[in-house]
Amino acid sequence: MKLAADPAASLRSARMKLPPYPMIDLDLGAPLDRHRATVQKEWIDWNGHMNVGYYVVAFDKATDVLCEQFGCSWDYTRLKIGMTFVLEAHVTYDREVKEGDPFRITTQILDHDAKRIHYMHLMYHGSEGYLAATNELMLMNIDYESRRAAPWPEWAMPRIEKMAAAHAKLPRPVQAGRLIGIKRK
Amino acid sequence: MLVTLPYEMPELVTTAPIDIHRSTVLPEWVDWNGHMNVAFYVLAFDQASGAFMRNMGLGRNYVESKSGMTFVLETHVTYDREMRGGAPMRFTTQLLARDAKRVHLFHEMFHAERGYLAATNETIVMNIDYASRRSAPWPMQAAERLEAIWTAHKGLPRPAKAGRIMGLAKKS
Repeated sequence: MKLAADPAASLRSARMKLPPYPMIDLDLGAPLDRHRATVQKEWIDWNGHMNVGYYVVAFDKATDVLCEQFGCSWDYTRLKIGMTFVLEAHVTYDREVKEGDPFRITTQILDHDAKRIHYMHLMYHGSEGYLAATNELMLMNIDYESRRAAPWPEWAMPRIEKMAAAHAKLPRPVQAGRLIGIKRK
Repeated sequence: MLVTLPYEMPELVTTAPIDIHRSTVLPEWVDWNGHMNVAFYVLAFDQASGAFMRNMGLGRNYVESKSGMTFVLETHVTYDREMRGGAPMRFTTQLLARDAKRVHLFHEMFHAERGYLAATNETIVMNIDYASRRSAPWPMQAAERLEAIWTAHKGLPRPAKAGRIMGLAKKS
């Protein structure tokens, strides 16, 4: 009997053992705490604070920082190997941030499987320290050519597992797994 | 509570769902994956929330007259299908719940020509007093309009994608 070829084997990312670009040293700090930025002038809306959409612009940059840890960031897409797509996002807006405010984003992996990562970003005001917002996300690996879901490449999976193990020691953020609704008092 | 807002109210739309907001994916919303970036879906949905607030009588002149503002407290997006630069968008909005200060909205974004569902957004918007920047009851005129919308929407079936909790479904 002739066995069907593993469909994953036809994917470019699945044929490569190593990425054709250098990978950064893995940061096993828990949570990942590398992203720093500043609220841009054009992110401010008529209420005089960062607009809801631009919080997600800021959080998406922190997702790039996460993906860089396991070699699935800009080079991964630039070299037409793969992409990462967000399937679902949940944002809590906890406190306002204004133009020019510095902020810091930490990232905790909550769960993962062969194709997806479930994780959470927390945004803090960079100097005052308060929690400004949270963003829970589901991210999926995508094959560049087919634009369909595909297993994480071989170089990424061990890194994701190491990070997930390091992050598993953290308490689960209270904002994770929230259901939207108006509470009846 | 503000009784009379210092500007004219627009004509009230009470269709169920509300189907008034249209927009287009701007080229600067497209990311290195060649599609609308996740954040700009939220921006596009925020404009649909803005259209809902305008229909309540709480548009830009609500802020400019320093009467009040509306803040989003929480938002949940499902990304169902890609949208490319220039794609036309059509939004429908269902009021799921309301109280004295808040509305719980459910938006659906469709590709306006091809008709497919591109994304959904469930969101909570709260009324804010302009001076204190704290939550406050809806102005009376807005509250009356909200009740008229609620009367039209409360019988709609609850959307399947409302009330989602994120997680990896364990199949194996």
